[in-house]
Amino acid sequence: MGGRVSSVAVPRAVARPRFGAVLLLALPVLGLLLFFVHPLLTVLWRSVTDAQGALTLANYARLFDDPGLPRAAVHSVAIGLATTLTTLAFGLCLAMALHRSHMPGKRLVRAALLLPMLAPSLVLGLGLVCLLGRNGLLHRLTGIPTDIYGFWGLLLANTLYGLPQVVMIVSAALERTPARHYDAAASMGATPWRQFVDVTMPRLRFALLAAAFLVFTETLTDFGSAVVVGGSYRVLAMEIYSKVVGQLDFAMGATLGVVLLVPALFSVWLGRLARRRQDNGDASPGRALVPSRHAMRDKLLGIVSIAAVLPIVAVVGTVAYVSFVKLWPYNRTLTLANYTGGMPDGFGPVATSLWVSLLAAVVGVVMVFALSAGLRRAPPALARPLQVLAAFPAAVPGMVLGLGYVLTFNHGALSAWFYGSAAIVAACSLYHYHAQAFLTMQTGMRQVPDALEDAVASFGGDTRHVLRDAVLPFAMPALVSSFFYLFMRSMVTLSGVIFLVTPDLGLASVAVMRLDENGFLAQAAAYAMCVVVAGALALAAMRFLLHVLKDRRHVA
Amino acid sequence: MHLRIDDIAKAWGGHTVLDSVSFNAGESDFVCLLGPSGCGKTTLLRIVAGLTAPDRGRVVLDGRDITTLPARDRRMGLVFQSYSLFPDMTAAANIGYPMRVRGEAAASIPAQAAAWLERVGLGSLGERFPDQLSGGQQQRVALARALAANPSMLLLDEPLSALDPSIRGQLRGEIRALQRSLGIPTIMVTHDQDEALAMADTIVCMNQGRIEQIGSPRCLYERPRTRFVAAFIGHANLLSTGLVRDALPAFLERRPPGRDETYDLCLRPEDLLVDADPRGEGVIEDITFLGNVARADIAWRGRRLLAELPGRSPLVRGEAVSIDAVRGAWVGA
Repeated sequence: MGGRVSSVAVPRAVARPRFGAVLLLALPVLGLLLFFVHPLLTVLWRSVTDAQGALTLANYARLFDDPGLPRAAVHSVAIGLATTLTTLAFGLCLAMALHRSHMPGKRLVRAALLLPMLAPSLVLGLGLVCLLGRNGLLHRLTGIPTDIYGFWGLLLANTLYGLPQVVMIVSAALERTPARHYDAAASMGATPWRQFVDVTMPRLRFALLAAAFLVFTETLTDFGSAVVVGGSYRVLAMEIYSKVVGQLDFAMGATLGVVLLVPALFSVWLGRLARRRQDNGDASPGRALVPSRHAMRDKLLGIVSIAAVLPIVAVVGTVAYVSFVKLWPYNRTLTLANYTGGMPDGFGPVATSLWVSLLAAVVGVVMVFALSAGLRRAPPALARPLQVLAAFPAAVPGMVLGLGYVLTFNHGALSAWFYGSAAIVAACSLYHYHAQAFLTMQTGMRQVPDALEDAVASFGGDTRHVLRDAVLPFAMPALVSSFFYLFMRSMVTLSGVIFLVTPDLGLASVAVMRLDENGFLAQAAAYAMCVVVAGALALAAMRFLLHVLKDRRHVA
Repeated sequence: MHLRIDDIAKAWGGHTVLDSVSFNAGESDFVCLLGPSGCGKTTLLRIVAGLTAPDRGRVVLDGRDITTLPARDRRMGLVFQSYSLFPDMTAAANIGYPMRVRGEAAASIPAQAAAWLERVGLGSLGERFPDQLSGGQQQRVALARALAANPSMLLLDEPLSALDPSIRGQLRGEIRALQRSLGIPTIMVTHDQDEALAMADTIVCMNQGRIEQIGSPRCLYERPRTRFVAAFIGHANLLSTGLVRDALPAFLERRPPGRDETYDLCLRPEDLLVDADPRGEGVIEDITFLGNVARADIAWRGRRLLAELPGRSPLVRGEAVSIDAVRGAWVGA
């Protein structure tokens, strides 16, 4: 290719219509303020005021009255660190196995890694209990006494849950490393091990760091596994739940929420720093990397992969099996009854979950599209703070946001129709997962060539034309991805919505938890499988749509 | 049509991009904004297009101040370096786009688009999508699209930079011919001096946000006013006044008055007279045969000169030569 690019990197056009940008930004920003900032501030405020509304730090002092709370904090951090370590170790091996080995069965490994993303985190816990609990399958079949409740159960459940995300982040970094770096190293006489140390690892540093912070935050704030397999090993998320739901002590719940928010915020901030320093690879990736043959390496990675993937398949498989069992664990006759009538509320909670998720995804995708499109044209002084705001929900644990919704919307103007409605659950899911949907959309928007937007403007087009003719064709894949991301996350979320469900508004993930609490494991498993199947269908639909788009898209 | 750029200034975040820039473009003129990366030429074009607002100064088209007029109301045809075609529209639909946006009768658009396709030599490719066209074909579509809306001016932002050299040369000629036949005033941004020399009626040579010199290609080549213009357009052997006084005193006659450092003498490689001379002060360090010409690196009085000699020159490496020049131009800072 001839020619240099002569233009310097100057900020984008200023003379473009501002009115359109303001209009595009207004609604999503209003949504963020009303349904994210406001509830969050309410939680903060509640934690520093007493019953009369006077400012006080007494709530924080009370944290130490109950010896259980500091212990729960220690537990949370311990389980967070342990999970991060195991997840990173296995995740790195899996990613290497998938991208740098000749291990057979890569497709199966990839498919198995999808499972934890399709299910609420408590489904993994549920599967573990059914498999390794005191009355679990293993005990029933072999007579070996098993007990999974506590630290080890939590560690296992959280590791299985975090694993796919680590594999994804590390894989992306591996894919960005061009083959010629390995060619160069090999030509200078580097052994495969040296190549791993000198070429692979330096490029994975920041990916591993980002993955570590992600897993740590998720484990710290996860509620689903904790409630199912935590047992007497109490963590902070459990404490918030019992303070709010058990003792109706909202002030303490809010205070604990803030305590949980601080490390999560810190961790997300560090993770973002790490990602910003990430090596984005070369502009031209060049020849695709074909790993050399190395029997020893492939065998080792294969064994580790099986060790990592087998529990996932076993756990989800157990849930599937249990969902077809008459009365777990006492009568293991196979039956369809759990699906055809055994579920206490029929398919109602599943339908509600679908409806809520659809609502969150439709509204969410419109919001993040408008926001990203508006930010393209906003002056930097406005765009930067809004970008931070839009990505901020990543740092806020679902339980804290949910608690904020309870404290904010159970009274006031909106409460009459909003509180207890499907809309509030959808809003909570949407703003809980706003960050990732927004970042996906923004990445998609970056594909839109500036020249195309300028061309529309110079031909007499207005904001409408720019969005339809220049932005949408390029942003469509991101639109599809964001939609299904929001849909799938809303289907499986538990921590955000646990405080918002009412007897009239059952959600599938909450139903799983309640049935599990009451010992109806087979019915719980049936609901769980409905969610998994819905998630799998959504994922298949997304892949199909993206494939069709890729075929139909004519992008030069 | 007459465009006047009047004292335009623009800064981004404290960094001056354009500093008091003024020039005129007349009826059916082809003006090239030429300069290195970051000299402000693209920003200037965007200001003319209405895509960027200047901090100061005016843009006047036919006596009407259009400085604050939005891009969509200026009716200017724009062609960008690349990636400016709608990916999901056919070539014909792309060309019809400005007409559709401006609300022309839908029935007449396909015929007009077809006529434009014919005009840019793509008559049979109207149903292709941009990704089914070569880079050169895409830029032809972009050109047709820019012209299809009957614009008051044509603005080209490095339209050939992303293309292969062979296609670039061909498209140069086509753009120029089309522009002449339409008589449309045109401004093209380029960093490629060959392109500017080959295409422009008038070159506006820019450097660091300022205009260095405005003139015809020939004027800029033969009579550069500044060292920058001399060095940027073609190759220049710049000799200090002191050196000229010692070695080529005849040239002092035409030197403008001023201190020694103020002016240098610019000698183009083809203006040097190089003759074999055992007592000469120059030595041929290297000579490259290029067919019709030979290019010689000459060490002379402690510096190097580049000279262009006839291809059949008998001079060889290491040979002693005497140096003189047929013409030269004094250039300032």
